[in-house]
Amino acid sequence: MTAPVLQVKDLKTQFFTDDGVVKAVDGVSFDLHPGETLGIVGESGCGKSVTALSILRLVQEPGRITNGQILFKGTDIVTMPDDDVRDIRGKDIAMIFQDPLSSLNPVLKVGYQIEEAMEAHTRISGKVALSRAIQLLKQVRIPAAESRVEDYPHQFSGGMRQRAMIAMGLANKPSILIADEPTTALDVTVQAQILELLRDLNQETKTAIILITHNMGVVAGLCKRVLVMYAGRIVEQGPVEQIFHDPQHPYTWSLLQSIPRLDADRKDRLLSIEGLPPDLIKPPSGCRFHPRCRFRIERCFHDDPSLMDVGPDQAAACWVTMRRALAQDGQARA
Amino acid sequence: MLSRRALIYLGERLVLVAFTAVAVSSIVFLGVHQLPGNAFLSDRRIDPVALQAIMHHYHLDLSLFDQYKLFVSGILRGDLGESLVNRGIPITPLLLREATVSLEVGAAALIFTIGLGMVLGVIAAIKQNSWIDYLATATSVVGYSMPNFVIATVLVLIFAVYLYNWSGGAIYYEIGWNGTYGTLGQISIPAFALGFPYASIVARLTRASMLEVLRQDYIRTAKAKGLSDRIVIIRHALRNALIPVVTILGPLTIGIITGSVVIENVFGIPGLGKEFVQSILSRDYNIVIGVFTFYALAIGLANLLVDFLYTAIDPRIRY
Ligand SMILES: Nc1ncnc2c1ncn2[C@@H]1O[C@H](COP(=O)(O)OP(=O)(O)OP(=O)(O)O)[C@@H](O)[C@H]1O
Ligand code: SF4
Ligand SMILES: [Mg+2]
Repeated sequence: MTAPVLQVKDLKTQFFTDDGVVKAVDGVSFDLHPGETLGIVGESGCGKSVTALSILRLVQEPGRITNGQILFKGTDIVTMPDDDVRDIRGKDIAMIFQDPLSSLNPVLKVGYQIEEAMEAHTRISGKVALSRAIQLLKQVRIPAAESRVEDYPHQFSGGMRQRAMIAMGLANKPSILIADEPTTALDVTVQAQILELLRDLNQETKTAIILITHNMGVVAGLCKRVLVMYAGRIVEQGPVEQIFHDPQHPYTWSLLQSIPRLDADRKDRLLSIEGLPPDLIKPPSGCRFHPRCRFRIERCFHDDPSLMDVGPDQAAACWVTMRRALAQDGQARA
Repeated sequence: MLSRRALIYLGERLVLVAFTAVAVSSIVFLGVHQLPGNAFLSDRRIDPVALQAIMHHYHLDLSLFDQYKLFVSGILRGDLGESLVNRGIPITPLLLREATVSLEVGAAALIFTIGLGMVLGVIAAIKQNSWIDYLATATSVVGYSMPNFVIATVLVLIFAVYLYNWSGGAIYYEIGWNGTYGTLGQISIPAFALGFPYASIVARLTRASMLEVLRQDYIRTAKAKGLSDRIVIIRHALRNALIPVVTILGPLTIGIITGSVVIENVFGIPGLGKEFVQSILSRDYNIVIGVFTFYALAIGLANLLVDFLYTAIDPRIRY
């Protein structure tokens, strides 16, 4: 197997607020291989975006990376000088965001915002940048790209804006594209188109993709491997198909139980699991999921499980695991 | 560059500005004609026959309605009539020249206001809660709690009086201009006095709007592209932060125009503002009407310019 292009090791990112320290990301580790498609799922507030922003060192005040390493091709981004991080941003690792309208500058032309991504890293003439921007817009299948480069973001539809964002992300042929909920703000049909586009681009350009989403269905549509996050931690990871068929963490299991249908109303598509998401300033003792877990045992209240192998390439942080939980359920019923 | 629709809109707006100026001057015209006395009944006794001739010369012997008709037909040709005090002096060229003097000072004040205000505001926003921020805020508070004539007086005291005494008359600021137009050195202090209160407002507004803009998603996008902080601020933040600042540009211009009446008199600047006060004191009503007309035009044009500035800054706005 090739060496990973990105290795995140025991990453902790915390927000030092007046109410206390928010442990938004609390010891996350994972590898990303060249060309791989990795999904990160979890309900709102579990630390997906903060993980992504940490990778580019874009976490805003009062947030700070307090621990860990983020190795990009072997070099640690966490301790890198600012100028070196800036070199990586947009060139080696690009990022696109949830709301394409607010993520594009309203007073600058779409084409210009794409050209700018190139000019930040390479010396090219305005003419070359423009023709490359047109080419990129064509690549993300925006019709009439030649005239559309001159448009402002408000003249684009939601789906086209997200395509333009993707074009911007691909401008420097990055080795990693991080897409933070790229489809959440879009209509269902447009969602499917954007996912298809990302899938094709991954095939064509061999860019590795980290796809962040609430939606297990979206992960299944694009990713080979998935990380399930809960309260700032990875609680389960493994190949998508395996996790879909055989989830071992009760949280993953409930996510899959509540898997939203693509044709449902947008609000219903967001995950809903009984109980409140945990307080990240004072997370629950023991297993962080225990207040909401149907399968908890005595040990879960005070003992914090770490990731354990539960199958080929699959790991889960749970004392019980679904295999045993369901077996017990079966026994109880029998 | 302007589309056909924009040109039509521009035309309509210009007509409206002209109409407003005529309306304003008409009101002033009717107003001053209600005032008792006139420029000829001042201190010296005047021969009744000569008075009669003068009254006739200025059409003051006609009915108010006829006078008004003459006035409006004059103003539509750009003719504001003749000075009542300095007989034979046509008002339009006189005021035009004085307007350019006022424009010189006013433009300097405006550039200074916007420049200083924006720089202070941007620095205060970027270095939020640093000493620079506090200094900028403190300066702002001083700036807009002090009326411009107080600032003007203090500046005169410092630069004309104290500096003179301290340097034994070697360096000081001389009040009153000898030429028509001021030199850069002569303009700077009046422009400062005129613009400083507004610079404070611009600074506070820029700071607030900059802080708002810096939290926007597109700023994060710009950073994620690998752009330097400087480019992110200048190219992505500033232009957006300017949109609310442009909003106050209209009132600000009006403030500078009205403020110039005081400042020109304090500093002895031969502009429209000084003429305004003098013409009132000498009851040169034709000039009073003329000055009002000029001010109405200036304010109308300034507002029009601001509206077009909007479209230049924000592509979402189209007329
Ligand atoms: N600027 C901030 N100040 C304080 N806390 C923050 C800040 N930004 C994020 N957090 C905290 O970090 C935690 C993780 O946030 P994050 O944005 O990563 O969640 P997410 O998984 O992306 O959720 P969503 O699906 O809603 O986007 C949240 O609980 C939030 O309270
Ligand atoms: S460790 Fe216990 S509480 Fe946590 S998920 Fe597993 S069973 Fe539930
Ligand atoms: Mg998020």
